[in-house]
Amino acid sequence: MESNAQSMTVEELHRKMETGDVLILDVRNEKDYNDWKIESKQAQSVNIPYFAFLEEDERVYAGLPKDKEIAVVCAKGGASDYVAEMLNNKGYNSSSLAGGMLAWSRFYHPVIVYADEKLKMIQINRLAKGCLSYAVISEGKGMIIDPGKEIEVYLELAGEHRFEIEHVVDSHLHADHITGGPRLAEQVGATYYLSSEEAKGTHLKYEPLDRHDRIKVGDVQVEVLSIPTPGHTPGSTSFLIDNRFLLSGDTIFVGGLGRPDLGGKAKEWAEDLYHTVFFKLKDLPDDCLVLPAHYSDIREMNDRGVVGELLGKIRENNEIMRNEDKASFTEQVAGAASMEKPPNFEEIVAINRGELQVDEERAIELEIGPNRCAVHHHGSHEEEA
Amino acid sequence: MADVIVDAKGLACPMPIVKAKKAIDALQPGQIMEVHTTEKGSMNDFPAWIRQSNHELLEAKEENGVFVFIVKKT
Repeated sequence: MESNAQSMTVEELHRKMETGDVLILDVRNEKDYNDWKIESKQAQSVNIPYFAFLEEDERVYAGLPKDKEIAVVCAKGGASDYVAEMLNNKGYNSSSLAGGMLAWSRFYHPVIVYADEKLKMIQINRLAKGCLSYAVISEGKGMIIDPGKEIEVYLELAGEHRFEIEHVVDSHLHADHITGGPRLAEQVGATYYLSSEEAKGTHLKYEPLDRHDRIKVGDVQVEVLSIPTPGHTPGSTSFLIDNRFLLSGDTIFVGGLGRPDLGGKAKEWAEDLYHTVFFKLKDLPDDCLVLPAHYSDIREMNDRGVVGELLGKIRENNEIMRNEDKASFTEQVAGAASMEKPPNFEEIVAINRGELQVDEERAIELEIGPNRCAVHHHGSHEEEA
Repeated sequence: MADVIVDAKGLACPMPIVKAKKAIDALQPGQIMEVHTTEKGSMNDFPAWIRQSNHELLEAKEENGVFVFIVKKT
């Protein structure tokens, strides 16, 4: 049965997606596809469930090109092998994505945001989840911000860019993915930081962020300024680097603000968010580049593959950022977010609080699915959640 | 009482539906097929397949980690 099935790794698929030279054929059922799929600016995606190919019906193949490579995708790679083989037997050029969406959810793509002789900033994009983590590198030392569960990604990065990981930080207690922070810090002997507001009541081993106004990376003047920016969660922290880069966690996104409702106190936290936007971040310059921890729409990624936007542009593009009326701001922000929660968020929070241990298989299962941390998921330009 | 029971326990996607498809093709309209699978993906895939193939899903349940689907051929 394996005779005619070619396979493709997630890295190969990603490279081909960037040039648009591939058609993504997702063979999962329609519901799973609509809920969560591989998003691409360049490559087109179609959904034909694998069981449709079991019918001897030529109409199923009608929209598929013979002159373009087809990447067949399913949940784990079994059904895509099956369909890819059927397609190739009919003269199509198709490959099955090895490991399916499961492998895609564990794929991280690093992009250099900025580099000069003193400072290198790398954004590590976990495309399947819309999760962004960062490496701030200077003089052979580095700080990792919001690392995902697959910590080997950061170890490889440290090897490739020749830096030693000194600091590991979580901007907040994540609800949508399992943090790699404590494990990464332990493995490399780095300090793990979290705000004490977030760590309250847990047994996490951490250095309270609120006790460090500045964290030095390397031995030059690249300082990281912690700014408590409550709103998304009470202890959410942003980091300002060199007065030019604002690593904004889940507080400000390219397309809007973080959702304040994941702790059952939407109104209170929305008021915090108001305070953050109109007091704490008010004096940051418009030409400061905002680099968030998440994105929810592929359109938030620029042509270089970086998710980031000048603060001035974000202020300009988001009416809510200019709504200085506190009551209406709070109502809008708290109201917009109250629908769909990130999948399994209660269990994920418990793991990140160190209160629940799960095996790797369960961890992978919990993280499967899209990210739902930004307010504008339910706002004007998304047709449905 | 089912006319055919398909035991697809332990088989990974896509094999449960491949097997079920073969079994239901051999039935007469009105006859009943019962499928047992342990593949978690079946919970969403099975009803979608039945809808697409215009058969009738009489019952879908989980019993001790085994997903059971009872389908009437149309």
